[in-house]
Amino acid sequence: MAHPRPIHRRTLLSAFSAAALTLAVTACGNDGESGPKGDPADALDTPTTLTFWTWAPNVDKVVARFEKKYPKIKVKVVNAGQSAAQYTKLQTAIKAGTGAPDVAQVEYFALPEFALTKRLVNLKDYGAAELEPKFAASAWSQVSISGGIYGIPQDTGPMAMFYNAEVLRKFGIEPPRTWAEFEAAADKLHRADPDRYITSIDPGDAGFLDSLLWQAGSRPFRQTSDSSVSVDLADNGAQKVAEFWTRLLNKNLVDTAPGWTNEWWQAMSSGKYAMWIIGAWAPGNLASTIPNTAGQWRAAPIPQWNAGDSVSAENGGSANVVTATSKHKEAAVAFATWLNAEAEGTRALSEAGLFPATTALLTDPDFLDTPIEVLGGQKANQVLAQSSEAVKTGWQFLPYQVYANSVFKDTVGQSIGARKPLASGLQAWQERITEFGEQQGFSVSAS
Amino acid sequence: MRTPSPPGAPRGEGSAPPSRRPTSRRLATGSQGRYGYLFLTPFVLAFLVGIVAPLLYAAYLSFFQERMVGGTTFVGFDNYARALEDQLLRAGLWRVALFLAIQVPLMLGLALLAALAIDSGLLRWAPLFRIGIFIPYAVPAVVASLMWGYLYGDRFGLVRQIGDGLGVDTPNLLGSSWMLASIGNVVTWEFVGYNMLILYAALRVIPEELYEAAAIDGAGEFRKAWSIKLPALRPALLLASVFSVIGSFQLFNEPNIMQSLAPNVVTTSYTPNMYAYNLAFNGQQFNYSAAVAVILGLVTAVVAFAVQVSGSRKEHAQ
Repeated sequence: MAHPRPIHRRTLLSAFSAAALTLAVTACGNDGESGPKGDPADALDTPTTLTFWTWAPNVDKVVARFEKKYPKIKVKVVNAGQSAAQYTKLQTAIKAGTGAPDVAQVEYFALPEFALTKRLVNLKDYGAAELEPKFAASAWSQVSISGGIYGIPQDTGPMAMFYNAEVLRKFGIEPPRTWAEFEAAADKLHRADPDRYITSIDPGDAGFLDSLLWQAGSRPFRQTSDSSVSVDLADNGAQKVAEFWTRLLNKNLVDTAPGWTNEWWQAMSSGKYAMWIIGAWAPGNLASTIPNTAGQWRAAPIPQWNAGDSVSAENGGSANVVTATSKHKEAAVAFATWLNAEAEGTRALSEAGLFPATTALLTDPDFLDTPIEVLGGQKANQVLAQSSEAVKTGWQFLPYQVYANSVFKDTVGQSIGARKPLASGLQAWQERITEFGEQQGFSVSAS
Repeated sequence: MRTPSPPGAPRGEGSAPPSRRPTSRRLATGSQGRYGYLFLTPFVLAFLVGIVAPLLYAAYLSFFQERMVGGTTFVGFDNYARALEDQLLRAGLWRVALFLAIQVPLMLGLALLAALAIDSGLLRWAPLFRIGIFIPYAVPAVVASLMWGYLYGDRFGLVRQIGDGLGVDTPNLLGSSWMLASIGNVVTWEFVGYNMLILYAALRVIPEELYEAAAIDGAGEFRKAWSIKLPALRPALLLASVFSVIGSFQLFNEPNIMQSLAPNVVTTSYTPNMYAYNLAFNGQQFNYSAAVAVILGLVTAVVAFAVQVSGSRKEHAQ
């Protein structure tokens, strides 16, 4: 077990889409450029068994609705592990040519790796381009890779600040709106009670830092062609983030506990940490892991670099992909489309606890007005949907981000743990990423 | 592992006097040999399929390089050249070597003490001690590491809480300076009982007459332990040492679990085995990983062989 920590998290939301999503799978017409493809709608009328690898919660119930609607299609839901564990199996199975599923869940950060190595079907050939208006721009941009479309967004994780309202009230701290206010709040809290911290920065979680860089306007990873990438972890945004968090670490204003551990949850539960800045999937985890704190939490926008701005980033989230080895590509595309783009499927997924990727749900009044219990009945989806809207565009992941993230703890994590300047950790990270890229045959530039 | 024969036992047929009936004996050997091979087949097949084939496949893989850009190419010994230069691999090897040098003697010393104590006959409830010391071996390494990880935790761990209660400032057992010792403690806890059983079994086969003879000569318990038990234990100690050497070089489960508790301390290349694992499964570098695994296997074999040779040399010198 390499990564016991759950990378994919969920929210427990209940939402009812009133918006009529009438566009059926027939919209997936046959307008691809690379040869004739079958019609996904026809495929739904042919007896087929599809295999679907996912670790999303309660998906079997959603799938049951699909099977009821299209009785000729049977979908076998398999949990082949979570995140990196599943990717290893998926890579191996696709490479071997047998044993791979037809449809699989892949997180956005791992998607370029699968796309580049031609492990996935370019859904553009099946008319998926028409689905673009249905999805939040932040989600769609993450499945659009090198001019193709390699997945249908399943869920997203726009960043938000989940704060413990009781702790902040107790110490007379207003929820910070900017990073400057965040620093002042951190100082005030830790001064008042040296056992408490505003939050903890996880030395093992590349995803959090990626999101901070993303929000600060840094674009460290870019694929410039099929065989070249650029890595720049010292651009303006990265410097800004590094200086800020180095200062907080030096002044001992943030803790450095690894996340998702027993200790970290205890600290979250006991009010030792005042907030958790993370993707919109967080409330579900709070509710299920530390139910004793239900009602204490509130959601607010992620702190801004400039007062009055509204700039956000993504954290986590997955797409559903169709594998290159699938023998039922049309049916697979139709299933993934129904599940993730149509009203019935997306509503069911949302009820199952995923934060939506479709604009229809993100603007649905029923969804927006749902009170969330763990957040004290706050209609937090409004905050989270706004964050989705405010996600800054232009972010890219490397075609080998899985590896890059895995050596985060060897490099930036060292700086965090030792409370040393993050800039040197970022530089070490860049070196490891560059070295690996060159070993993989990429030309790696640093600008 | 060959079963060690007690000192003084006949050392095989080679030294036997020439046979009295050479003709018939040769015949018998011939047909026995044929049937012998037949009986060997199941083992040989399992050995070839289960051990030789994967080893050969790993060696085969290590001569290629698969790149995301450029596909798979034959690269000869390039992966090995890279591995020999690899600072991360080297640091990992030194780390497990240090672990080996300190943890193994400590663990075997404790196991020896426990075995002698239980064998001495002076202990009340000896079977209870025996099973008690052995039980940790039955706990899966993953569970053991998680359990100890909770005890070590710097914020809410039991060690820290006891320290706070006593007003003592306990070190961060999951910090970089203590991590190897903390892992050593887990491994010791897990394997003392196992090694104790190996040693205890060797003690049980010592004939009673030796003790009686020693008693007649006026030897006390300590003298018996020193002059009879310890020499008799040498082959078993050697066996346990070789197992422990192999175990140390293959250290994986314990640090891998500790990694989630202290990701910045236990890096992806903390031990050579973890390095090989992460190269293969996070970096898709199966070929380089195979080369690292082959090198690790060779280093382990060489060290284990050295331990074996030096141990049996002493045995002969006796």
